[in-house]
Amino acid sequence: MQKQQQVSDKVLVIGGGMGGIRAALDLAEAEKKVILVDRDYTIGGLMTQLDRTFPTNNCDLCTLSPNLSEGSRQEYIELLTMTTVKGIKGGKGNFTVSMETAPRYINLDKCTACGECYKKFPQCVRFSPGLDHRAPTCMRYPQATPQAFSIDLAKCDDVEGLMKCCPAGAINPDDMGRKFEVTCGSIILSPGGSLFDPSHLDYLGFGQQPDVVTSLQYERILSASGPTMGQLVRPSNGQQPKKVAWIQCIGSRGLQKGAGAYCSSACCMFALKEAIVTKERFHDDIETTIFYMDMRTMGKDYERYFLRAKNEFGVRFVRSRPHSILREEGAENLTITYSCDDKSANITEEFDMVVLSTGFRISDEVRLLAGKLGIDLNSSSFPVTDPFNPVATSVPGIYVAGVAQAPKDIPETMVQASAAACMAAADVAVPVKAEEDREPPPPEFATVGEEARVGVFICDCGENIGGVVDAGALAEFASQLPQVVVSELKGHGCSRQSMREIQESIRDNKLNRVVIGGCSPRTHETKFQETVRAAGLNKYLVEIANIRDQATWVHSNSPQDATAKAKDLIRMAVGSVIRSQPLVDQSLPINKDVLVVGGGVAGMNAALQLADQGHKVYLAEKTDKLGGLAARIHTTIEKGDVQTYVKDLIARTEAHENIQIITRALIVDHSGMPGLFKTGMQTGKQMFYRQIEHGVTVIATGAKPNRPPQYLLGENAAVSTQLDLQALLAEKPEMASAWDNVVMIQCVGSRDDENPNCSRICCQSAIKNALRILALNPEARIFVLYRDMRTFGFHEEYYQKARELGVIFVRYSREQPPRVKAGDGGIEVSFTDPVLGRELIVAADHLCLSTGMVADEDGNSELAMLFKLPRTADGYFLEDHVKLRPIDLPIPGFFVAGTAHSPKLINESVGQALAVAARARTMLASDTINLGARSAKVDKNICAACLICVRSCPFSIPFINAEGYSEIDPAKCHGCGVCVSACPAKAIQLMQFEDDRILAKLEELFERTNA
Amino acid sequence: MENFEPVIVAFCCHYCAYTAADMAGSQRLTYPANVKIIRVPCSGKVDALHLVKAFEKGADGVYVAGCLEGDCHFKNGNVRAARRVESVRKYLEEIGLEGERLEMVTMSAGMGYRFAQVATEMTEKIRKMGPSPIHLALAGGASEARQAANI
Repeated sequence: MQKQQQVSDKVLVIGGGMGGIRAALDLAEAEKKVILVDRDYTIGGLMTQLDRTFPTNNCDLCTLSPNLSEGSRQEYIELLTMTTVKGIKGGKGNFTVSMETAPRYINLDKCTACGECYKKFPQCVRFSPGLDHRAPTCMRYPQATPQAFSIDLAKCDDVEGLMKCCPAGAINPDDMGRKFEVTCGSIILSPGGSLFDPSHLDYLGFGQQPDVVTSLQYERILSASGPTMGQLVRPSNGQQPKKVAWIQCIGSRGLQKGAGAYCSSACCMFALKEAIVTKERFHDDIETTIFYMDMRTMGKDYERYFLRAKNEFGVRFVRSRPHSILREEGAENLTITYSCDDKSANITEEFDMVVLSTGFRISDEVRLLAGKLGIDLNSSSFPVTDPFNPVATSVPGIYVAGVAQAPKDIPETMVQASAAACMAAADVAVPVKAEEDREPPPPEFATVGEEARVGVFICDCGENIGGVVDAGALAEFASQLPQVVVSELKGHGCSRQSMREIQESIRDNKLNRVVIGGCSPRTHETKFQETVRAAGLNKYLVEIANIRDQATWVHSNSPQDATAKAKDLIRMAVGSVIRSQPLVDQSLPINKDVLVVGGGVAGMNAALQLADQGHKVYLAEKTDKLGGLAARIHTTIEKGDVQTYVKDLIARTEAHENIQIITRALIVDHSGMPGLFKTGMQTGKQMFYRQIEHGVTVIATGAKPNRPPQYLLGENAAVSTQLDLQALLAEKPEMASAWDNVVMIQCVGSRDDENPNCSRICCQSAIKNALRILALNPEARIFVLYRDMRTFGFHEEYYQKARELGVIFVRYSREQPPRVKAGDGGIEVSFTDPVLGRELIVAADHLCLSTGMVADEDGNSELAMLFKLPRTADGYFLEDHVKLRPIDLPIPGFFVAGTAHSPKLINESVGQALAVAARARTMLASDTINLGARSAKVDKNICAACLICVRSCPFSIPFINAEGYSEIDPAKCHGCGVCVSACPAKAIQLMQFEDDRILAKLEELFERTNA
Repeated sequence: MENFEPVIVAFCCHYCAYTAADMAGSQRLTYPANVKIIRVPCSGKVDALHLVKAFEKGADGVYVAGCLEGDCHFKNGNVRAARRVESVRKYLEEIGLEGERLEMVTMSAGMGYRFAQVATEMTEKIRKMGPSPIHLALAGGASEARQAANI
């Protein structure tokens, strides 16, 4: 017998930014072992430096920190900070990687992050990037992971004094770092990108003029944890600026010396967000101007954000590439010189702050790392990936995610991270479960019958709460409430430090009830439940008063009202928590089968990945064959052969023993709960009814090609859509040789009143088809009439190539669209050339409309209704969190892939399908599902068996049992409480929402009013 | 009662209205602080007793906010809630309170704007109506209350 080479059970994730953390968490939740390395001294990457993120303008730390601390407490993740990869041997399944950890001079096990070392020896602070020269603490932000300091020994002249000042004795100047090797089965490369440094471009004044900053520096100035503590001031004089300008495409689109040829994809949104946040703070007190080439807001709902910036916030947009930023001798302000299409003369305008929107680039360090790993790089030093698998590099077993793959924003990074996790998980062995390794939480202490002892912990949440109300006064107020034993102010209650303090307080003060005054229970209840449980308290004895989302954020205009309301909410929570009782969660075995709705590229990829991992997959397709929209596409812009790819995908799907394909499937009913769904469908020509039981559902229903009845589409044979044109060019290439003039019109049926969003794919389709026409007929003259060319990422290089080859790009405005009429043997297109300032008429042999995609309104509305899934205003499925959970739908157990989410390219759909598989695995890896404790409970002594609950239950769960009273199975109860409110005898109570708790809230609310 | 600031209780279902309220927060929309939210799993959970109790304790206005029709997480809890609100309104009229002080509204989880708008409109409406007779009585103005209630 041949000896099998041993396959390692570990995945190595290089880079602990958002992408690396997401990949590590997905793997860990699917019970795979992960080594997460980062060269920095805390994980989090670029995102931790941002103030807020688009499009929700949420505070980043609030959304990010739960992920970070999750990252550090997962038992499957080994976290190695200040560590770099030195070399690699072996191949897929069995890599040996040599690494080196730099000395931190602090023993992580001993450091409590008390801050004494910083107070006494601030010079030993490690510098944070950007303007953050004098960070308030040497941890970058309060939720830093690991929660420990880092010493810069070179800057320290009194090492002994430093050692003595540490009460924990954690400082170790003899730390030598270490060199070591690890083995792993696969590698995820997510080191992120670095930002373009504009210092060498003297005409921008960066580095010489203090008021010229990069967009990341501006972000740091806005950030509450930044150098100015969130005060927007000019670095030169400390005054609030009155006029701020953003200049786009610095270091992108090949414009400056050393710039990448690609578009950095995220900077337009980044600038919009900064401008909006600035406007939000100062309203009419500040003017914001964005100088841009093309506004590239091609993501889901991003166009609406752009419109809001323009129409609601009054951000000014100037289409121009400024010539220079100068400051006149002795002048206080900066002068930008620029020119516009409509004027031939140069314009000069004064601003008091200028923000350079610097693009992403691959750092030399990452390039060297790629060299060590042996992966191929493209001309811009980004890894070459498979045209149909955006995370697969040229080396089997090594995957790439995030900005290191191509410039992108956070949601796309999250998708790729999950996709990489899916691929990497398939290459490693299943780790042997070591149950005994897990430390069980301490036994719960008894609380029944004991007098309530409440602890109240109030978060100031940075500026979010503390900036509007006096959080300390709230804590003081709460301490006066009956049965409150302790009341304390916490900075960020969700930081690890605060959680630990809360646990200590529970033990020290023998607390048996806890109230958190902070953010929403929707996002943080689970976290605080885990916190109190770890201290030995039943997890249902904690209640959150939502004083941020529902008080300080919405009443920031009146701190007095916000304070009064916060007090009400806290008093209500205390009154309610006193009456809470310890509860036990219900759990049931999970169904590990999967239902995938939609048999296109996304659906098939998700099905194949999950089937490969041993899950039975039901693939339900509405039509009679697999393939979806991609079956009509011939090649990608990179010349990937889509037809062959789709055929192969269908063959593999049909041949897979774990996949059952159901064509002509019409979903008609749906019931159950996450992990135990039942979906009914009518199938086949006869429309037979069948029901499928499954644990998770993947929505991959796709979108429809748009065909708006505009510009003679459908009336004249010489007018087509880009989709028709690419098929025509593949099937009848000889047609193109007869064309002298071809006109393409962009944004037809997109970015208008009916469909305000951008369809994302059409600009690259136009370029792809234009290049194809020129390949067939180099003499053809092609006009592309556009509003903004949105060739994001590496597509920019194809755009530049098309211009070099003579394709003529003419901009039109929404107010002045091109006009079209049928002429002799062709189409007459007239439009205004903004550069020439006059009207042109082109007699086109062919007119091609870039019509993009629209959501399948009929199909989606039906499914959304059956599955209870929310949708966006334009009919796409709405994900749980647009930034951090772009794949999970708001209902647990539902995931979305492909164009059902928003318009996408094929490789993006594949990426999302892989990501779905990884996310679904996190749920399916466990054998049981936790149903929580919220269920209705009947008091048999009061029940009169009147049958009202039996009749009112939406799910027909209650029944009258042999003893003659109503019985409700807690495992089947959905916990809505309808029977509770209907019961005339008040014999039923809904656990967690008992009547006495609701009444207590009312009681407490009116305590003040009537007092 | 000069400078009358009504107290309004909003029973919000966890899945839609409560989420919309959070959404209003993350979009930094503003609405009057008079509205205090009590979270329930489903609008169908809101007991007639809770509605009446709220008025008994001195609420000037009460509303139940659930999911849009057809969107209820529990099939039809919102429809039941609407029916219950309707019947409690009649009851309020019977005991001398204006039925308009109680409302049923629906919204989806994404409608932060609508949440803020409903809260503003409700506050405006109740402010115009003046304090509830019970509120007045509790505040000590018993005779005024009797007058208002027409007793």
